[in-house]
Amino acid sequence: MASSGGVARTLCRLYYRFSVCRQCQRQVPNLSKTNRFAVSTRLYSEQRSTHFGFETVSEDEKTEKVYKVFENVAQKYDVMNDAMSLGIHRLWKDALMHLMSPTPGTLLLDVAGGTGDISFRFLDYIRFRQDREARRDTLSRQSASWQEITEAYQPGQSDTQGGVQAVVCDINKEMLKVGRQRAADRGYGTGLSWVVGNAEELPFDNDKFDFYTIAFGIRNVTHIDQALQEAHRVLKPGGRFLCLEFSRVSNPLLSRVYDAYSFQLIPVLGEVIAGDWKSYQYLVESIRRFPDQEEFKAMIEDAGFFKVQFHNLTGGVVAIHSGFKL
Amino acid sequence: MAALLRALKVGQVLRALRAAQRSQCDEVKRTFQTAAVLRRVTDDPKQEQVPPSSSSFHQHYQSTPPDSESSRPNTSYADQGGEQAEDYETEEQLQIRILTAALEFVPKHGWSVEAIAEGAQTLGLSPSAAGIFSNGTGDLILHFIAQCNSNLSEKLAEQHKLVQLGQTEPKKTDEFLRDAVEARLRMLIPYIEIWPQAMSILLLPHNIPESLKHLSILVDDIWYYAGDRSSDLNWYTRRAALTGIYNTTELVMLQDSSPDFEETWKFLENRVKDVMNMANTAKQVQSTGEAVAQGIMGAAITLKNLTEVNQRR
Repeated sequence: MASSGGVARTLCRLYYRFSVCRQCQRQVPNLSKTNRFAVSTRLYSEQRSTHFGFETVSEDEKTEKVYKVFENVAQKYDVMNDAMSLGIHRLWKDALMHLMSPTPGTLLLDVAGGTGDISFRFLDYIRFRQDREARRDTLSRQSASWQEITEAYQPGQSDTQGGVQAVVCDINKEMLKVGRQRAADRGYGTGLSWVVGNAEELPFDNDKFDFYTIAFGIRNVTHIDQALQEAHRVLKPGGRFLCLEFSRVSNPLLSRVYDAYSFQLIPVLGEVIAGDWKSYQYLVESIRRFPDQEEFKAMIEDAGFFKVQFHNLTGGVVAIHSGFKL
Repeated sequence: MAALLRALKVGQVLRALRAAQRSQCDEVKRTFQTAAVLRRVTDDPKQEQVPPSSSSFHQHYQSTPPDSESSRPNTSYADQGGEQAEDYETEEQLQIRILTAALEFVPKHGWSVEAIAEGAQTLGLSPSAAGIFSNGTGDLILHFIAQCNSNLSEKLAEQHKLVQLGQTEPKKTDEFLRDAVEARLRMLIPYIEIWPQAMSILLLPHNIPESLKHLSILVDDIWYYAGDRSSDLNWYTRRAALTGIYNTTELVMLQDSSPDFEETWKFLENRVKDVMNMANTAKQVQSTGEAVAQGIMGAAITLKNLTEVNQRR
């Protein structure tokens, strides 16, 4: 890997107007005065360093800091999602599900799935599909016995692996706790499995899952390429990798509105609703640090996926990347 | 009428294409060329491409391999060492294999993504591989049509070869057309129950260009093997006529319940006869018209002479 100086230089790559910091000759973003204090120029030459929002931290520290962020936000995570995205995150997740269009009998691994949004939608979709097939079967059967008809109307029959259809994996126990609670509230008891695990080192065997999704989680991973390689490992041949993540807005006008909204409003909302300014500051900054659509597509291809495509939603605010293990 | 116009437009494009293709008269040479291209692209010996002689005529069908014995996806996708072109060719081949495997599940699931998912499963892939096709149902149907068309052209080429070798008598045009269309429609018989669904899907706007392309290739093939080498307006009229015959016979076949579709074949015979009659009638009308025109001219000249003779006196 490159020297730490090179790493720092690549990691300081940002997408707006730049100014060069006289101290370290690195480019720093031209931020408003309120945010300038967040830019730190620490550089650890002995350890590998990475970015935490606009800060530079060592890699071990990043994992810890991210853990703390989500520990803090776990309870108010869903409320904040609705507030920040004005409810549009539901549409994004629905779009992901429609793109996936899973068939009954497939197994999903939802990494960084935390509160379980994607998994719930997955279960709903499969249930809907099963119902539709059952209805079609009964329609086509012209002279079915009562036995067959009642059997066809039994809910939730085809489960794989002893009833599990979706596995939710998250590094953070708090998020999983919230997720389990929501599942119990909505009656998704069977069919879900909750596992604590790190995306860079998944506690699963090779070739196990039909779908691997990671929604709004991969930008928090310290080593994205490792996470992608793990994804490739645990997927069955023919399996699909899907990533829903914030991405780059190409339209300049929309971009300015989006930036203003992100940097001015979101931390304020975080403070008011969740009582946590810094976590949401981190959130917005981490979005800016994440590679753009084409670059991320290249990273996915490097991990060994084929037919990699991305779809922009809401003008590029969010992008769905999809690849197949063939 | 609309079909005629569409066929006309397509015909213009096709004529250019055909002219370019048929300028090389050596079929075998072309086969070797295509085989070489495909082999250069895929080094993997198991993926032995290419097919015999006749289907090489159509660039569209060149990527259709005969079904290879290996059902397990090859490690050639997994090794990153190849050039980019190798991966893409293998991806397309894989897509074709999935679609071919999916065809056997079509009678049960209809032309749908479920059929593709089941097909992928028989190849050892996860059903999520059906997501490779953004236009799943359309792709499946178009693949099926392409397969049928290439089968037909293989059959016609074999017959043609036999005729050239002198082992069989050449058929008359109407008989040839009838047999060709019947052979092609018989390939639909296993899927005849769900063919209406397929036809409706093919009418969706994003599927229309591809389906028209396949239809025009089919019609052109049949006429070529029937011996049509015309380069005037006849080229268009013949293809338009055959398109009409084919489409109407297909529709009749959908609601035919007679044993072994006898009614359909009778209908087909009548239509072909009609077209032949029309061609003959057209010729007769033309010659009659010429004769009438000459007669009128003669009468006019006679009249003129008569009056002149009068004046000269």
